[in-house]
Amino acid sequence: MNIKKIITRDKISTILFLIIPIVLVIIFIYICIIWNVVVSLSDWEGLRPSYNFKDFGQYIKLFTNEIFLTSLWNNIVLILIFVPGSLVMGLLLAILLDQKVRRENVFKLVYLFPFTLSFVVTGFLWRWMYNIRVGVLNTLLELIGLGFLSNKWVQDVDFAMFWVCVVLIWQYSGYMMLIFLAGIRSIPESHIMAAAVDGASTFQVYYRVIIPQLKAPIFTGFVILVVFALKAFDLIFILTGGGPGYATEILPITMYKEVFNKRHFAYGSAIATVLFLLIMIIVIPYLYSTYGGKKNERN
Amino acid sequence: MDPKKQTIIFVLIAVIATAGIVAGIMYFVMVPTPEETDELEIYHWWTSGGEAAAVGALVDVFEGLYPDTTVTQRAISGGSGITMIPIITALILAGEAPDAFQMHAGYEGIEYFKADLLDDINDIWADNNLETVIPDVVQSMCQFDGDYYMVPVNIHRSNVVWYNLNELDSIGADPKAISNWTDFFDVCNDWETANPTKDAISLAHAWTQAHLFEQILAGEGIDVYESWINGDIISGSDPDLLAALTILETFMTYTNPDFNTLAWDEATDLLIQGNSIFNVMGDWANGEFLVANSVYDDDYGTIAVPGTSNMYGLVVDAFQHPAGVAHPINSDRWLEVVASKEGQDAFNPLKGSISARTDSDLTLYGPYHDWTFADFESVTYMFPSVVHGSGAPQSFSSELSAVINDFCTGGATLAATAIAIAALASANAADFTTVWSLD
Repeated sequence: MNIKKIITRDKISTILFLIIPIVLVIIFIYICIIWNVVVSLSDWEGLRPSYNFKDFGQYIKLFTNEIFLTSLWNNIVLILIFVPGSLVMGLLLAILLDQKVRRENVFKLVYLFPFTLSFVVTGFLWRWMYNIRVGVLNTLLELIGLGFLSNKWVQDVDFAMFWVCVVLIWQYSGYMMLIFLAGIRSIPESHIMAAAVDGASTFQVYYRVIIPQLKAPIFTGFVILVVFALKAFDLIFILTGGGPGYATEILPITMYKEVFNKRHFAYGSAIATVLFLLIMIIVIPYLYSTYGGKKNERN
Repeated sequence: MDPKKQTIIFVLIAVIATAGIVAGIMYFVMVPTPEETDELEIYHWWTSGGEAAAVGALVDVFEGLYPDTTVTQRAISGGSGITMIPIITALILAGEAPDAFQMHAGYEGIEYFKADLLDDINDIWADNNLETVIPDVVQSMCQFDGDYYMVPVNIHRSNVVWYNLNELDSIGADPKAISNWTDFFDVCNDWETANPTKDAISLAHAWTQAHLFEQILAGEGIDVYESWINGDIISGSDPDLLAALTILETFMTYTNPDFNTLAWDEATDLLIQGNSIFNVMGDWANGEFLVANSVYDDDYGTIAVPGTSNMYGLVVDAFQHPAGVAHPINSDRWLEVVASKEGQDAFNPLKGSISARTDSDLTLYGPYHDWTFADFESVTYMFPSVVHGSGAPQSFSSELSAVINDFCTGGATLAATAIAIAALASANAADFTTVWSLD
């Protein structure tokens, strides 16, 4: 093959289009990640940058530090509540919308609306709603006579994380619903009709025919949600600031406090690297199964 | 023309044009302006009613002297600088330090000093004869390694209990008779019995709880506080630490349940509205009473936190001259105005603090200041606040707020909190570079 066949005109214009985004990604993502790892191994203390290699001491400090371990645990709890919650909610909404309702698009818009809000806006909105004295939730509960249900919401040390997850599920279920709806709609009619002919009830049709075929959207949704759960900084920072105490403090918040309040740059970078590795553990298997190995059927 | 060739040419034009625009923008952004524009940019966190009025008055004094300078105030709300400090960190690291920013005298500035980010201002101190008018204690808080790096704008008192006199009169309690915590809690009990739907003490979020704790700890003895800020309390079973936390635990039984959602001035407002009788807060709270037209010794009053009546808890706000600022001349002018008699006499009466200068015009101050001036002259001990950046390193004080918050919201037991506070001291032992001697 001569050069002329490899470098066709199409490829040149493709490369030219891609050069700018690729350069930006290399600088702002890959180089920054490497820089972060370098800082975590350096002796940078205080406000004057310093890049002399020190040792892995920051990582050892991390895993013996109670605040870091609490943070990590909170992150895991967040994942365990938020991810299944969003998936189930999204699936439910998708099934409901699949029932050939009138004005389906209006419902889709309504359910998707929370996802269009920025997390800062959601944080402020819910902080106001969760307010013990003047918030919408407590006030409304009292108005309709359910005053005994009013509680401290995110100010309650034991359930703060749960209420934070409620906000996150509220924000993400619309997006999950879209993914699942597309998945459900892509199942061939013939499967459903065959099941109906065999005498399956609607419930059985969903449970035995449709949901098993949703493995791919579930997997995609799972990965997206877990990656987000590890990063959910803006929402929690605004909503609770990590409080009360350490109840909702997750890794990104610990990282922020270490670096910007205490100026412990190397330690904060070590936390960031740990976070990065956690995300990679989730994402790499996903990428491999979708794009690696034999070329398999894509949805 | 061959369509493929056309595409390539268009793409090349697009790429070159984009590159050109980006380069052009970056050039204009990066090249420094040759002449110094007549501006002054200052950062502070004085956003509540009384505070904003006070800093406005100070800026007016500056603008009166230098009418051609444009002063830009960047007010970042968040008491005790909790929001502003991270922002300043980011700005300084980016080389974009503002011309001056609010800072607490003492430990809060040490990171900047160690990284050579501050210029010494010995000449400003010398030219304005500041050493003759500023108390020794405050002078030492403005120095690092013997050189002056900041000018104090005020002296706040942290160990103050504000009380609602009207409410106390309604149950016949005399606040001046309170001499210890038992008396204090007795009055709380009496008032809550008479007002079952209300809570005797109004408390706010985050740092205000740690602020309260450090006053309680000081009340255990000045030697205890001194050990604490020297990083010497490293055992979770230290009896003074446990005693202070026990008092805090009792204190929490009288506070409003939504404390963790209130900013400091909202808790003080609860007191002003008659929804509580006590509020522990530094005397920057006085501004809130002024703005609400409350009258001292009529509607409200003050006592020292029980156990600290012979002590003055110092919170000193200061400004500095960051290295390499955009407007160095205006920065120096600002510092001189801040340190001047006119500036401090304009600022402090509204702020609730006393002037850092001993030659201030006492007639300008209100009745609250009569009480606090008298105490300042007569107290035996003064102690620098930890929560407000002076007494202990940032690595200690910023985490302390979270630990105390954990305790107050019921997330940690008393024993675990004592252990956590002690662990903070031992974990950050290397940062305790100042050895305080308070008596």
